[in-house]
Amino acid sequence: MSDDFKDIWSLRKPGAKDSKRHKERIREAIKENLHDLISEENIISSSGGKKVKVPIKYLDMWRFKFGKNNKHKGVGHGKGAPGDVIYKEDPMSGQGKAGDKAGEEVYEEEVEIEEIIEMMLENLDLPWMEEKENVREIETEETVFQDIAERGLPANIDKRRTILRNLKRNALKGKMRIGGFALDDLRYRVWEQVIEKHSNAAVFLLMDRSGSMTSEKKYIVKSFFWWMVKFLERKYENVELIFIAHDTEAHEVEEENFFKISHGGGTMVSSAFKLAQTIIEDRYSHKTWNNYVFAFSDGDNWPEDNVRCVQSIKDILPFCQAVGYGEVDINDSFYKWGSSTSSSMWSNLAQIFEKDTELSENERFIVATIEKREDIYAGLRKFLKGVDKQNER
Amino acid sequence: MKDRMEEILRLAKNLGLDPYPIVYETVERTTMFNVCAYGLPTRARHWSYGRSYDHQKTHGEMGLSKVYEIILNNDPSYAFLLDTNSEVQNLFIAAHCIGHSDFFKNNCMFAGSNRNMIRHAAQHAGRIEEYIERFGFEKVEHIMDIGFALDNNIDWNKGLHRKPYGQKHVVTKYRKRGEFDDLLYREQKPTVIRKTVNDKFPPRPEQDLLWFLVNYAPLDDWERDVLDIIREESFYFYPQKMTKIMNEGWASYWHAELMFRYEGLTPEEHMDFVRDHEKVVQPGMNPFRINPYFLGYRIFKDIEKRWDAKHGKGAGREKMFQVRCEDDDISFLRNYLTTELVEELELFTYGYMKDYPKDHGGSKYIIIKERLRDEIVESMIKPLYNGGAPKISITGVGQEGELILKHESEEICTLDFRFAEKTIEYLWDLWAAPIELHVKDDPGDDVVLCFDEAGFYQKERIDELNFGEEDIELEI
Repeated sequence: MSDDFKDIWSLRKPGAKDSKRHKERIREAIKENLHDLISEENIISSSGGKKVKVPIKYLDMWRFKFGKNNKHKGVGHGKGAPGDVIYKEDPMSGQGKAGDKAGEEVYEEEVEIEEIIEMMLENLDLPWMEEKENVREIETEETVFQDIAERGLPANIDKRRTILRNLKRNALKGKMRIGGFALDDLRYRVWEQVIEKHSNAAVFLLMDRSGSMTSEKKYIVKSFFWWMVKFLERKYENVELIFIAHDTEAHEVEEENFFKISHGGGTMVSSAFKLAQTIIEDRYSHKTWNNYVFAFSDGDNWPEDNVRCVQSIKDILPFCQAVGYGEVDINDSFYKWGSSTSSSMWSNLAQIFEKDTELSENERFIVATIEKREDIYAGLRKFLKGVDKQNER
Repeated sequence: MKDRMEEILRLAKNLGLDPYPIVYETVERTTMFNVCAYGLPTRARHWSYGRSYDHQKTHGEMGLSKVYEIILNNDPSYAFLLDTNSEVQNLFIAAHCIGHSDFFKNNCMFAGSNRNMIRHAAQHAGRIEEYIERFGFEKVEHIMDIGFALDNNIDWNKGLHRKPYGQKHVVTKYRKRGEFDDLLYREQKPTVIRKTVNDKFPPRPEQDLLWFLVNYAPLDDWERDVLDIIREESFYFYPQKMTKIMNEGWASYWHAELMFRYEGLTPEEHMDFVRDHEKVVQPGMNPFRINPYFLGYRIFKDIEKRWDAKHGKGAGREKMFQVRCEDDDISFLRNYLTTELVEELELFTYGYMKDYPKDHGGSKYIIIKERLRDEIVESMIKPLYNGGAPKISITGVGQEGELILKHESEEICTLDFRFAEKTIEYLWDLWAAPIELHVKDDPGDDVVLCFDEAGFYQKERIDELNFGEEDIELEI
């Protein structure tokens, strides 16, 4: 009786197999919850190529179960009188991590950042890319193993084919076996560089750096741009990035300074668009470049600038493939009273753009409103694919 | 080694233990992780076992926990020993396993157990593999996901094998005319009573959700079979969940008893054993958790002591054998965890503090609530009711075919809505008509969680009767 199971115990080890499937399910769960992960600080602040720990809240086995029960009393053991405090929950960790207390489980799964980026940026594309007249071409490169050769680099040995050759040769000699490899047996894989040619693209990133941009707002803009830049760097080899920061005046700045600078003072969004247009005219003629302009602000524009701003966007649109405006409208700011209570004085740019029929009907002008971190993914998709508008067509 | 094991088995049988034959398998660590994760090592694969396998593996490799032994409820019982165990460890584990096997064989909860479950589970696995081949991995996995989501919602008292509901029909009962009817003014009462039975569907609230779906949901045969397999395995494990404290206590009592009586140990081996035994039955480092080995062991020891004192030497042992037959953890704690023992083991209930001092700085405090015996017993028992799962009943099927369910254990706790949402989505997948789950939310109001083509939504339950009563009160 024992013997017929004996082999099963040691041979049948389904655990590893199921563990693999479990990991796959985790990946699926991550994919489904990208919008939650997109603002994960440890992804954005990482330098790439490393692994990050991602909290996975959703890989539970669904079943009916009891909720959080503050009435519940556990049973423990030890000394002490009723009323004695035996444990103090750290207020910081208590809020963020629900998994610390008994009952709920939070998984921390190690994932390659690259893998997350891969998943995140699948299906995204730069919209309305057109073939421009040569000048500088943007290339995407891919390495494909396409052929087999008898000479090659040792690292590229095609083991399967080599063994097959060896088997055949030995079989011809009368005994089919593996061994006694001769130089003739070796087969190598040969790769080819496949180059796809694309048109040029220049991406202008415009950001409001006025006093009303709180750190949370900036954080959202930063994660937005982080993903955008990651996307562009991945998909295309030569994409020019132009960073423009503005308050009432606009300046072209270096990438590393882009998120650092903060100024007081007012906001004139039009100034940034105007500077972008000057740069386009100087360096990125729309005849040879696909230009994309993405601007971010909290919408607290100076009222007298609003008309100018609408006009400057209308001016720049013919020179661009698309213009995006993202309004970070979160409720964390003291300045918020301005835009919500007395809209006559401070008004919301997104609303103004909407009222202007010429702008709102132009499908190449994309407006996204971001109210919380979770909206970033939707906004990114909207910008990078123009999905919503394209699907409607 | 073999001789020593047989000697111990002889000792055990002389002392009245009645185990199944036990097959011992010495396995390496990864095999142990596998057996642990699957519970039944031959059963069908599913990613959820992979999850617990990973858990076992990380904990095992980091040295956080070490499993010395697993024994399966089967005839013969299979016991797995870690290949790194020392000989004396294996001896006392063998003694421990004799206790478990005796418990499996004789405790009333296990009376209906399938004692050939290892083979049976292997057959289950074979059938599921076949379905995977025929209908595709994803499809089968999805049905298994659903099955596992509902496998706590069985009705142990109705049993594994049940007949479908009876047809709707009228029963006629004749009332016999009694001798004293004239005195009791019963003469006018009709002697023939007609009653319609089974006019509702289901006739009574149904707790065994899997059984109901297998029998009445529009499913393919293979889907029914997969759900049935999961249900059957859930029934197999249920008694083990309900007797954890007793079973470990019983086995610990006997490994101690047998090893102390066994005369073939060298002094060094004896010291090693005593050290290991102390580790097993210690209260544990974590004050928030009670080690079931410790608790069960101490209760059994206490029973022996008390009955011996009361009825003379030997009565304690007799009582223990009776308890191991008749109780499960709930009655075991209720009947035998005494006030004195609670004091001796320094048990307490704990919970969140309600009134905080001013300077507590926002952190939550956990305090000792009380040391009252009844409170402690009830707090321990609550998580055991219904196998620890919320009681959900199917109360009816509506006009449009919608399945109406009700949560029946609100007094313990409200449901976790996020989990409930996903679970009724599963139900919707199978039932193919809207699902309504009547529950209370955290403030205590009645709400209905619904799932249909539109997805998940919540609606308030309007109970007209209640409004009526309030009106009357206002008028007074």
